[in-house]
Amino acid sequence: MTGKQTTTSAAFLATLKRDLLIAFKKKNDIVNPFMFFIIVVSLFPIGISPESDRLTEIAAGVIWISVLLASMLSMDNLYRSDFEDGSLEQLLLSPHPLFFLVLAKNISHWLVSGLPVVLVSPLLAYMLALPEEAYGTLFLSLLLGTPIMSLVGSIAVALTVGLGSRGLILAVITLPMSVPVLIFGTLAVQSTLNSQSPLGYLSLMLVMLSVSVSLAPLASAAALRISVN
Amino acid sequence: MWVWFFKLGSPKWFYELSGKWLPWLVAAMVIFMTIGLVWGLLFLPPDYQQGFTSRILIVHVAVAGTSLAFFPLMFVAGTITLVWRMKLADMVAKNAAILGAWFSFITLATGSLWGSVMWGTWWEWTDSRLVSMLFQLFLLLGVISLRSALEDSDAAAKACALLSIVGCINVVIIKYSVEWWNTLHQVSSPVTTDTSSPNGPEFWIATLIMIVAVYLFLTVSLILSTRNEILERERKAQWVKDLVLKAK
Repeated sequence: MTGKQTTTSAAFLATLKRDLLIAFKKKNDIVNPFMFFIIVVSLFPIGISPESDRLTEIAAGVIWISVLLASMLSMDNLYRSDFEDGSLEQLLLSPHPLFFLVLAKNISHWLVSGLPVVLVSPLLAYMLALPEEAYGTLFLSLLLGTPIMSLVGSIAVALTVGLGSRGLILAVITLPMSVPVLIFGTLAVQSTLNSQSPLGYLSLMLVMLSVSVSLAPLASAAALRISVN
Repeated sequence: MWVWFFKLGSPKWFYELSGKWLPWLVAAMVIFMTIGLVWGLLFLPPDYQQGFTSRILIVHVAVAGTSLAFFPLMFVAGTITLVWRMKLADMVAKNAAILGAWFSFITLATGSLWGSVMWGTWWEWTDSRLVSMLFQLFLLLGVISLRSALEDSDAAAKACALLSIVGCINVVIIKYSVEWWNTLHQVSSPVTTDTSSPNGPEFWIATLIMIVAVYLFLTVSLILSTRNEILERERKAQWVKDLVLKAK
């Protein structure tokens, strides 16, 4: 940026591109939460029961809860490395609205951590003996729900970014907040299994997603300004 | 008109004013608490269905109702902290989180005690109030642990203020989604709290007295712990030093 004025949309795209590039250079940060997700899901049949009837009942819940846990792991790095190398401060100093820059970071985070989970969900649903007709609902509910997790979790990550040893505080703050998403995500799948339309729940999740997209980055931006002094 | 509001920003002013209020509040609390507890727990006629177990409800309903006030309180205090940078609001918010966690816990405990007799179970996932109260407790514990993790008190104040605001909105969403979840999952309804009609007015008067008593208790505890907090944070101020020396 040699003295030239950049537009906000250019800054948005630049942030998105930069974050994706970094993510693909540090593949461990993507692969490990993803592996964690798959391993957790495959532990449930071993721990509870290998019978397909039982598994069908718990499949949606198991996948959803594993997604929440895995997102805690991947979320941890959302702002930390930027905070450590000082680029987060540069982000805060930029003349563009922090809202869009935070949104770009959240979107890139979702693309590398949320989307793979959504894409692999039909396979795991098959392994957990979820009936075929519910694959689509599970897929859609995860597609709508995982970005909500990224956006809402981002607030807690931003609040704790300055902490040296953060431990599990991120999970303690974020997991209770994910209750509505969990409820509607699993209810949508349940209602498909009961051969009812899941559209009501999915549209509620869409509402929650639109509200999160428009409000959560505001809170994240405010939180980043508090944490980075 | 705003003068009193900005005066509240001064911890010294609040300390002196609350010192004047405190005896009256404590006296009122003791009176209401004694009447409510003695009458409610020892003399109230048994409920026509629940027997003497209904006396637990006198305490439970009052504590439960009061525990719903904490997140709105922290929402307001958090907004004041973020907008006006008022130190006092943060001192109140800090203690409100801790008190709120206790109130939520006591609500769950007394509710379980009552439920263990009336419903035959200590815990019932199909009752939405239990579940949302549990998650309110979790959210409050999250605020408390964030505060204890952040060392810089100014950053902690703002961070907790923001988390309280987000948490307050969240607690409402959780409450409604849990209710929704229950109306669809609930197989049988063991809950019949509608005990008002056949019992005559005593039950509700006693409950009302207890609610006033518990709100007074909340106010007194909040004021006392805030005064403590003021003394601790302002310990380098001259008026606190004078106060301590006078007390000696």
